[in-house]
Amino acid sequence: MRRFLSSPSAVVGTTLLVLVLFAALFGPLIAPYDPQEFHPLARLQGPSASYWLGTDQFGRDLLSRILSGAPATIAFGVFSTTIGVVVGSLIGVIAGVSSGWVDSTIMRILDGLLAVPDLLFTLLIVTVLGGGMEHALLAVAVAFTPGMARIARSAVLSVRTRDYVRAAVARGESGLYIVGREVLPNALSPIVVEATIRVSFAIMIGATLGFLGLGAQPPSTEWGLMVSEARQFMFRNPWCVAIPGLSIATAALGFNLFGDALRDALDPRRSH
Amino acid sequence: MSRGYLIRRLLAIILVLAIVTLAVFAITTILPGNAAIMILGEYATPDAVAALERQLHLDQPWYMQYLSWVAGILHGDFGTSLRLSQPVTQVVGEAFLNSAMLALTALAAVIIVAIPLGVLAALKRGTVIDLAIGLFSYLGTALPEFVTATLLLVFLAAPNVGPFPAGGFVAPWEDLAGFAAHVILPAATLGLILLAHVSRQVRSEMSEVLASDYVRAARLKGLSERRVIWRHTLPNSLAPAVAVISLDIGYLLGGIIVVEEIFAWPGLGRVLMYALENRDLPVIQAVTLLLAAIYALSNLVSDIIIAKLDPRVRYA
Amino acid sequence: MTKFMLTRRNVVMGLAATALVPGLDLQDALAAATPKPGGTLRISHSTRIATLNVLNCSGPAEYPAVDMLYSGLTRMGPDNKPMADLAQRWEASADAKTFTFHLREGITFHDGSPCTADDVVATYQAILSPDIPAAARSVLNMIDKIEAVDPTTVKITLASPFADLPISTAHPNARILSKAALAGPREKLDTTVNGTGPFKLETYDSARMVRLVKNENYFIKGKPYLDAVELYLFPDLAAESANFLNGAMDVMLTVQQADFQRIAASSGIKAQRIPSGRFVNITMRQDQKPFDDVRVRKALAMSIDRPTLVDIVLEGLGRPAYDNLLSPEFQYAIQTPEIPYDPASAKKLLAEAGYPDGIKIKLVASNRPAIRAQVAVAVKEMAKAAGFDIDVETMSHDTYLANIWMKGQFYMGYWGMQATEDATFNLLLTSNASYEDTGWKNKEFDQLVSDARQTTDTEKRRDLYAKAQELMLRDTPYIVPIFEDVLTASGKSVEDWTTAPLSGYFYVENVWLNKA
Repeated sequence: MRRFLSSPSAVVGTTLLVLVLFAALFGPLIAPYDPQEFHPLARLQGPSASYWLGTDQFGRDLLSRILSGAPATIAFGVFSTTIGVVVGSLIGVIAGVSSGWVDSTIMRILDGLLAVPDLLFTLLIVTVLGGGMEHALLAVAVAFTPGMARIARSAVLSVRTRDYVRAAVARGESGLYIVGREVLPNALSPIVVEATIRVSFAIMIGATLGFLGLGAQPPSTEWGLMVSEARQFMFRNPWCVAIPGLSIATAALGFNLFGDALRDALDPRRSH
Repeated sequence: MSRGYLIRRLLAIILVLAIVTLAVFAITTILPGNAAIMILGEYATPDAVAALERQLHLDQPWYMQYLSWVAGILHGDFGTSLRLSQPVTQVVGEAFLNSAMLALTALAAVIIVAIPLGVLAALKRGTVIDLAIGLFSYLGTALPEFVTATLLLVFLAAPNVGPFPAGGFVAPWEDLAGFAAHVILPAATLGLILLAHVSRQVRSEMSEVLASDYVRAARLKGLSERRVIWRHTLPNSLAPAVAVISLDIGYLLGGIIVVEEIFAWPGLGRVLMYALENRDLPVIQAVTLLLAAIYALSNLVSDIIIAKLDPRVRYA
Repeated sequence: MTKFMLTRRNVVMGLAATALVPGLDLQDALAAATPKPGGTLRISHSTRIATLNVLNCSGPAEYPAVDMLYSGLTRMGPDNKPMADLAQRWEASADAKTFTFHLREGITFHDGSPCTADDVVATYQAILSPDIPAAARSVLNMIDKIEAVDPTTVKITLASPFADLPISTAHPNARILSKAALAGPREKLDTTVNGTGPFKLETYDSARMVRLVKNENYFIKGKPYLDAVELYLFPDLAAESANFLNGAMDVMLTVQQADFQRIAASSGIKAQRIPSGRFVNITMRQDQKPFDDVRVRKALAMSIDRPTLVDIVLEGLGRPAYDNLLSPEFQYAIQTPEIPYDPASAKKLLAEAGYPDGIKIKLVASNRPAIRAQVAVAVKEMAKAAGFDIDVETMSHDTYLANIWMKGQFYMGYWGMQATEDATFNLLLTSNASYEDTGWKNKEFDQLVSDARQTTDTEKRRDLYAKAQELMLRDTPYIVPIFEDVLTASGKSVEDWTTAPLSGYFYVENVWLNKA
């Protein structure tokens, strides 16, 4: 742990992550105003004593909107990645453990699905499903699955030939036991690292979908949607674009730095 | 890298493209709403919708539509855009050319800028320069394209402020200087994320090679530092960068969707968004097919290059 | 309020007087400077010109394109009155059942072939044919017979009397195509043009730019002044306004409310706001609970702070509306009583209607254009105090069109201004209206509208339309909270750029560039 925190990027990453997670958990509780409440006399204002981060085109308090949008934005990243990781890892572990024709069939299909770029894949799924936050979440999860499966499989393959696994096989343990107790825990770290970094991609894809009108919909306070709604007003109050934009960047940066630092800590070979 | 492996990879790609298009086709046509309703919008009367559906052959079952679409493709005919009444090859072809020019400009810029940056960061490891480059690349990866593009627009193309045109397109064969002026901001937006990826990759590989016995040996031989870096270290650090760049082509293909929308660049991303909004199936299909094929092929090419550069990698 | 509106009307009329009224051949007598011919006008717009098919195009940027390329029998002027176009004059029989249109002599299509009564007949037959998607059919469906008396005379016989036929013939989608083009493959109409308008199509690239060039043989001698017009597509509004302000574009077709002040304040820019009857409406299905009870509809009407809505959604660039579909621009519009924002009384009314704990309900809005969701979100906030717990659901336009529009219980509509009272009511409110989506279906109202249609006497019509409006206001079939102004802007050297409150008319043949 101390070694982990000795790198500056880990410190910054952890700090940002704590900040973002705090907002996601307690944001709506500590928001000074109702995030949907109009203040028609205080529209498009810069930061002031009563509105710390200023207001948007309806005079809604930006700080409250950022705080109330944090759970939606962060949860989007975390849940879509989690679904993608769990499903992907299952597929990857099955492929890695079973080998033979099962493995090669799964890998061919995954290779194929990987042929469609992430955002395009997500866009297609969202359009087909009809837009909206839940559909966007599902789409990102589906788009992440093949990549995660590939990583999980190679992690399993690299563990499979290790001595402790061979020992378990020699002891005559059941297949399920070996996978559950020996292979999975040891293959977990690359999966966790990858997942952490992917959360930042998921947050950015979610925001981009919100921007394109295919993700969160008004009156949601999802950060990407906030940027896209405020863009018309950016010359009159740059804060209403800058604040949610920076929030997205902070969240993405937090997960990204934390993931990188985690990788360095878990895999000393790459710690430069 | 056997020939059999190559053929299998190519067959797999074709199979997947077939599955993807079939799925898109089936689901898009089964959902309520279609191109006829979108074309007529709120001024549609049931009569007019029915008439337009007949004209566009949307009254046939979806599998018949798919089969005739596939039959057309086998004859090199990608059909006619439902919304624009122009041949799909024309709509998509022009857009593809425009997108390719944008993407290649971005890619070239990234290669020219990112590799020296990565080398610099590796050589100055732990200094302020390294930190600055690292911070810059992290910021690049954390800002979504639509935020970067908006910022560039406000600060570099606002009236009376910026030197650059705020979006638009000029063909290079009409006016090369005009093309260059228009391509800078969208290419910069696209390039920022890639810049971060590539420079970080180069830095990390370069550091690894610099610390290797091989470089140490070269130094012990008394070779000049410059020679050690340019002749021994850099070439060995580039293979992974190639891999990252080819993977980043997938990013580029996604990134153009947002960037083209904001900078009014008439490319594939715009065509795709417009087709998706209007349920213009033949166009959706052609663009999906094209983007997926480019991505799959670039992955294949990168695998080949990596195998060539790094003899440890073997493909059965 | 009333006074305010009156001043606004004066502004419109003033505008119509100082600007050139097209077609009236004022010969620039009123213009301060003599128009200079030549030059290329660059117009920016933010929605695609996806088709040039004049029969069914409806895009905001498709309208100016077909307005420049084609001409109709008649055309609507900036004063909302029909004026001469291909038809130099027309007369109606006393019973308003037979109309005779006299075409100008020697009109030609862009390919040089003559445009005669036969082409008019062929076009109208196409519009009336159920096999052809044509947006003008709903305003021309009273036509029983159309015939060419001689090459320059067209006689139209109606099934029922309709005094406003010359307004219907001015419909932007009722412009005249050549008989030959109509006989050819219909897809060609989307991408090729052979019209009689002041400009000819040169380049059609829907992804970027559409270029039109001067029609040397336009039927008004000396016009158009411009050599060419280029329509550039900018899907991003920020990029569009930046290009306009830095002079890369001469005209910004539509200015967003959010940007209007900034653009109007820039030096050398002429920004125009034209009051219009374009409105947002809230559809409430009345054949199901809770909107079957007029008290619930009235309660919602009282729960909306309309002047504030104008301020925050339209940036003040519009007028509050009070549930009348007719804006003050309409000839027969009555003085609509204001509905004050009164959530307390609304709450009482809801309790009387049997909802003492308020109503929880979902309001659906399409995401295009953004104003629908903006009004929905604002209404949600305003009506909260009255006990309406509204959950706004915004969805993509295609899903909306397929699943909600004409089917849903509670959703946001958005309509452009119609040319007449008759067109407005037959669009939305009469029992057999094209888009009757409330289930109101009032027989008395139907009768009043139908009687007014057949009357040629102005005073009698005024009376009938007044009664119809009172009936509408009594029952509140729709909530119409705001009328939106039409906003446009032109650069320093552009002279005589005007648009009409009705979408579809732009008079670009009068525009000229005052470049030294």
